[in-house]
Amino acid sequence: MTSNTGVGQAHVPLPAPGPQTPAPDYDPGPFWDEMFEGPGRVRSHYAALAGRLATLSPDEVARRQQTAELSFQVRGITFAVNQGTEGVEKIMPFDLIPRLLRAEEWRQIERGLEQRIRALNLFLADVYHEQRILTSGIIPPELVLGARGYRREFHNVNPPLGVYTHIVGSDLVRDGSGQFHVLEDNLRTPSGVSYVVENRRVLKRTWPRIFEDYDVRPIEGYPQDLLDILHAIAPANAEDPTVVLLTPGAYNSAYFEHAFLAKAMGIEMVQGSDLFVDDACVFMRTTRGRRRVDVIYRRVDDDFLDPLTFRPDSLLGVPGLVPTYRLGRVSLANAIGTGVADDKAIYAYVPRFISYYLGEEPILPNVQTFLPTEPADLRYILEHLDELVVKSVNESGGYGMLIGPHAAKEERDEYRARILADPRGFIAQPTLALSRHPCWTSDHFEGRHIDLRPFVLFGREVRVTPGGLTRVALRGGSLVVNSSQGGGGKDTWVLAEDPGA
Amino acid sequence: MLCRVAEDLFWTSRYVERAIAVSRLSEVTWHLELDAGDVEDEHGDFWAPLLGPADEAPTRLRGDEHPSPDEVRHYLIFDGQNPSSLVSCVRQARSAARGVRESISSEMWEHLNTLYLSLVDPDLAAQAEDNPHGFYKRIREGAQFFQGLTDSTLAHDEVWHFTGLGKYLERADNVARVLSLQAHLLLTGEHGDDLVRWLAVLRSCGSAEAYARYYSLRVEPARVVEFLLLNPIFPQSVRFSLGAAWEALRAIGASQGISHDSATRASRALGMLSAQLEHAAVDEVLEDGLQPYLTSIRNQIAEISEHVTRGYLRDEPRPGRLVAVARAAMIMAAQQQQQ
Repeated sequence: MTSNTGVGQAHVPLPAPGPQTPAPDYDPGPFWDEMFEGPGRVRSHYAALAGRLATLSPDEVARRQQTAELSFQVRGITFAVNQGTEGVEKIMPFDLIPRLLRAEEWRQIERGLEQRIRALNLFLADVYHEQRILTSGIIPPELVLGARGYRREFHNVNPPLGVYTHIVGSDLVRDGSGQFHVLEDNLRTPSGVSYVVENRRVLKRTWPRIFEDYDVRPIEGYPQDLLDILHAIAPANAEDPTVVLLTPGAYNSAYFEHAFLAKAMGIEMVQGSDLFVDDACVFMRTTRGRRRVDVIYRRVDDDFLDPLTFRPDSLLGVPGLVPTYRLGRVSLANAIGTGVADDKAIYAYVPRFISYYLGEEPILPNVQTFLPTEPADLRYILEHLDELVVKSVNESGGYGMLIGPHAAKEERDEYRARILADPRGFIAQPTLALSRHPCWTSDHFEGRHIDLRPFVLFGREVRVTPGGLTRVALRGGSLVVNSSQGGGGKDTWVLAEDPGA
Repeated sequence: MLCRVAEDLFWTSRYVERAIAVSRLSEVTWHLELDAGDVEDEHGDFWAPLLGPADEAPTRLRGDEHPSPDEVRHYLIFDGQNPSSLVSCVRQARSAARGVRESISSEMWEHLNTLYLSLVDPDLAAQAEDNPHGFYKRIREGAQFFQGLTDSTLAHDEVWHFTGLGKYLERADNVARVLSLQAHLLLTGEHGDDLVRWLAVLRSCGSAEAYARYYSLRVEPARVVEFLLLNPIFPQSVRFSLGAAWEALRAIGASQGISHDSATRASRALGMLSAQLEHAAVDEVLEDGLQPYLTSIRNQIAEISEHVTRGYLRDEPRPGRLVAVARAAMIMAAQQQQQ
């Protein structure tokens, strides 16, 4: 719900940017701060918000924080960390102050993401058809063919609309100069969009006042947009396509999101055991007998989708699903085999894919990346382990990661050995000075590092959801924002127009 | 609807209804205990009979000649190992509901989740000791509110009918059980005229006031049995509950084109049981023996539940399924050869 008061029409006089600040002692430090240009100087687009914040006592802030967190708990917006057992459910900590993005900044992000997604899809189409890029000299062929996510079984399969990645979550970070970079792409089963919607909902309930000062672009359209895409990719002969969401089940850390999306789209949420394949069609078991399924929005990774094709020990999948998909008798979002493009080593080449497939310069830059498979890079990495972030190419969730400057010598030595043993399995990047944002910590505000995960939908066209999930590294000084490692979230606002512009 | 969802909702509904029953029973028993005061053993222990016949009681309480009231109360209300304890009922209802939360309304889910979270408090037992009445009331009202939300926030479609089926089968079973635990003792023991005890039986089923209104006569054993077992219009009676369960099952079956063998069996068994109660007369029941009658009803309910499960909630294995998968793989291989 956007405010009707637009630019220059705010019925509350906006406090002038300047010495007015809710937290006179707040020190942005040497980092790019989203809210403050410098100590005591609020950025112009945050001025109104800062004014509102200044009217709240610490008790008031704490109270609203607690109300917000209780809301998450009652809704059961929890996740299990690692192995879920009864009673070990945690909420994703929510920070009250929204993160604001100016319209003009957002335009650049939107264009950059669209460009990137198109290039990635062209890469995937190429890899699974002619493989021109492997002989182009752009990227070592063994990097692609040896990627764990590369599925030879999908050669020459044509997904509906030619789209492989229907749902993408690319992580963006801002460096010390304020420039956005893409940190990584998530092209398999990216999660977090339910938090985008829930954070907005909760903030509206706990602090409705702040919405009066801004024209915030709405985000509730996501489930409908997603459903449109799922319908659009249904097999050609399906007249009234049946769409389902395939979940690994209630013990999966993103289970709330699965249930949320299924309900918002009005589709059935199924587990592997609810489906079966018969006569090269997929059916679900209902109380009225079998019912044909045409499109599956699957939140189960490739490896676990079909015990007859991939991991035979998987209980989460459906025997025979993959042949049925190959025959085009059922559609999947995302397509199988997208993992080759979000391999972190392949990520390093994405800017070159953009120029190769689109003939354009990348609008959003990558983060500088070193590959241990290149001898010069390997030397550099081993010499500078204490300055670099090392990541395992196929992990996510903040696992399998070394943050050089924060790590103990034993940890760095361990990673040195692992890199040497498996150079293809790692990448290294400089430790970025991620931007920070004021966050409430028990009784005062402190800067915390944040990132941004916008969600991009790709069906007949590319649609970037305005905003996304701003994740917060809650421990002071920490750079790890993933929720499984204790990270929190903020509501993210894309302003419809720059206030005061 | 998905079989798994139907099953989870069926059981959510059963556990919520069971929570109501256990909370009522516990509260009434607590009252009886208070009324009896310090008089030792004159009326016997009120809690032990709630464990049921010897073969239903848990092993560790069975060995004891006389498990203490505290042990029994703990077992019935707080014991996580007892799947039918009050706390377990709420926990299992919530767990089942969580697995199908996309099929129920957000209000239903949030309410049940809040109820569950309130019970996770480690000081629970102490709170209940302090204010038992408040404790039982809170849970019962929480469960009843959930039932109210179910009726008003779900379309009365197949999903809703399965919750109804679970609720009413459970209710019929619970009332029959209460009657069988208490009334049996009263009819055959020395306290056949103990009106306080008979009133307690009515209260355990939330039926005391309705009874008074229906009969406007004093409490009499035969009438209590008649009211709880055979009354056609009071929602807590076994006859009413089975009738409502039968309606729910018919509504579910009505949309079926083909019916599985088990589904038909569930229908017929429930139909027959419901009809049996419709045409029973209390004096005949008492003459033939209340206890065997109640046991037979409970056994039939258990069978019906089994037929419902097999007929609607679990897929019968279909012969030739793996053959079909192999066929699809062969088609794929043939396609690959053509490329």
